[in-house]
Amino acid sequence: MNDCVLKIENLTKTYKLGKRNVQPLTNLDLEIGKGEFTAIMGPSGSGKTTLLNIIGCIDKATSGTVLLDGVDIAKMPESKLYKIRRDKIGFVFQNFNLLPYLNARENVELAMELAGKFKGQRKQRALELLGTVGLSGREQHRPQRLSQGEQQRVAIARALANDPAIILADEPTGNLDVTNKQEIVKLLSDLNQKQGTTIIMVTHDEQVAAQTHRMLILKDGKVAEHNQAKNKLPAASKGDFE
Amino acid sequence: MGILSRATRNLARRKTRAVLVIAALSLALTMLIVLPPSIQARQDITRQAVDYFVEINDYVTSTVTLSATEIQCSYPVGFDPEIVFSGKDVWFTQPLMNDTIYSQVLSIPDIINVIPLLRVLGTPDRPYAITGVPLDNASYQMDRTILPTNITAGRNLEVGDKGVVVLDLWTAQMIINPNIRAWLSDTGELVLNETTIEKLTAMVGGTITIEGHEFTVVGLAGESLTTGGAIMSLADAWEITNTTGQAWQYRIFADDINNVNTITARIQSIDPKLEVTSGVSQQNIAEPLKNQITTLTQTAQNNLNQIQGIGLMEIGIAVVAATAIILFLMLYSVRERTKEIGTLKAMGAGNGTILGQFMTEGVLLSLIAAVIAIALSVFVLPLLASLLLPAPVAFGPSIGPVSMSNQTLILYPDGVYFGDDPNFIPGQESNIIAASITPQILLMGLGAALLLGALGTLYPALKAARTKPAEAMRYE
Ligand SMILES: Nc1ncnc2c1ncn2[C@@H]1O[C@H](COP(=O)(O)OP(=O)(O)OP(=O)(O)O)[C@@H](O)[C@H]1O
Ligand SMILES: [Mg+2]
Repeated sequence: MNDCVLKIENLTKTYKLGKRNVQPLTNLDLEIGKGEFTAIMGPSGSGKTTLLNIIGCIDKATSGTVLLDGVDIAKMPESKLYKIRRDKIGFVFQNFNLLPYLNARENVELAMELAGKFKGQRKQRALELLGTVGLSGREQHRPQRLSQGEQQRVAIARALANDPAIILADEPTGNLDVTNKQEIVKLLSDLNQKQGTTIIMVTHDEQVAAQTHRMLILKDGKVAEHNQAKNKLPAASKGDFE
Repeated sequence: MGILSRATRNLARRKTRAVLVIAALSLALTMLIVLPPSIQARQDITRQAVDYFVEINDYVTSTVTLSATEIQCSYPVGFDPEIVFSGKDVWFTQPLMNDTIYSQVLSIPDIINVIPLLRVLGTPDRPYAITGVPLDNASYQMDRTILPTNITAGRNLEVGDKGVVVLDLWTAQMIINPNIRAWLSDTGELVLNETTIEKLTAMVGGTITIEGHEFTVVGLAGESLTTGGAIMSLADAWEITNTTGQAWQYRIFADDINNVNTITARIQSIDPKLEVTSGVSQQNIAEPLKNQITTLTQTAQNNLNQIQGIGLMEIGIAVVAATAIILFLMLYSVRERTKEIGTLKAMGAGNGTILGQFMTEGVLLSLIAAVIAIALSVFVLPLLASLLLPAPVAFGPSIGPVSMSNQTLILYPDGVYFGDDPNFIPGQESNIIAASITPQILLMGLGAALLLGALGTLYPALKAARTKPAEAMRYE
């Protein structure tokens, strides 16, 4: 498992807001191994979403290198980035972000359609994936007819559609009640254990984070490993893991 | 699940909005489809009217046959019920002017020449007229129309000719076969077949006897306004008809155009029964008519300009409206779906895919509207055209009928009548300008919808394609 999927070195992200600069990520280093299930925690505004967006190629690093599957995506132009997103990344969002005019199966299929997969192949795989996330029989339902937990399952199936190198989940349980929360975490955990899916999950919930292999704290623009045994966040961790 | 069905579903998401937009768009496109053929139809009818005005103008111009300094006088043709010919035809009388009148005319000052012409009408024994023309250089130089102008065989009369005759075709025909009086076409023209023409031509060089005198036929002439029958020298005609010194018409030439009216008045004072016409009097009659026709032409032209101006402006408005409707709808739609666009991009949709998705939606919308507009335009064409465009001037009774001697000009919605029946009513009269929707126009409408749809969608679609996913995902 020391095979490295993601290697970030010296990553800095600066937003310009008029005269003021916001720099949520400062000289950040991070390595994620293949098959790892990692949780990223940290106070609101600490840059968790920013980090995930840069890894997911929907935001650009200001400086530094981001090696995804050995390719530096930090300096890639948009004309190539969309293919990385399509083929290597699977996003799971807090608000599910399903397309409301498509049913569960079509939402999953769309990801494959964008990747140019053939129709028969697409449908077959969409049904399989929906089975994997426990939604057999609900394939024809549009999002508004699914519960929130079910919607997030569709989103997870969609994220898996193109066999991505990494799943990026930004507070996937943030909008769910306790039961659904546990089920979604269990689903992600199962995927990781049974299929070896690499997952990075941002969460505010310690209990959710506790179900992962590795817990990272994002603070002052950098990540620090958190000792899982304590199962508790340090009040003001300024740890620097370099 | 293709791009097209996704576009359809997206449009169906906001049904009321889609219906309203399609309705507005259909109206704009209907305008676009209806206007060009309607403008064309109005253009056509105006052109037709102007063409007729030109025709009438030519007709009026042709009624001025005398040069400005020429005066003609004669007694009017009389009608004598006592003279009955062939059992049913009545014969006319042509009163002649005697040499007393001639000398009185000659004594009027400012006259440079007087040409006497003789015409003695036919009799039961001689079913054709005799025309006598002075064959001297001075007269012929002054007015070349005293001699036949269209010789069809042989030669014309020449200065100094004596004992020779030129026959018009009608006369020649009746000399060969007096029983067959005439072969007339519907329009009153003499109809001659080739054998008849050959027979008539063979007469040239031969001799005929008129009123007991032998004449050599030197030529044949077509019909002419002033001369006709057997045409010969004035001296010969005087001799064989015993009318020496008399004339049916004098052609009088004034030395100056300013003296024409005075001379005309003096001639009239010789005998009030004389018919006196001058180039000046003909022009005085023709002038107001020509002015009226000029005014009508200008009115029609101005009206057409107005129609074209307003029509083009409305086409412009329709184009802008259609484009704007699509532009704003799609802009709104892009804004509303920002987060969706972000999601699609996060899933790996390229800029081209997003662009294509929105372009498809915009163009689909305008095509749906185009189909409705096409169906609509077939029904509302006349109504809409009359609402959108000023009425063509030829449409109203304001300028018709115009009367001119015995000719009447009436302007109808579907054409112009110019003829001698003032009560003429065309058979299929309708109040509809005959504009029709042709397949080409429909195709053009469809093309225009496609183009405007694409044009209006381009900017919003580009905006959507350029959406930055990270920012779009934060958008609420
Ligand atoms: N597009 C942007 N322009 C300017 N500032 C931004 C932009 N995106 C994020 N930021 C700022 O960067 C910082 C990090 O934001 P980010 O969303 O990554 O935090 P987060 O850790 O995900 O917070 P939360 O837990 O509330 O989701 C914040 O201060 C935020 O205001
Ligand atoms: Mg966040």
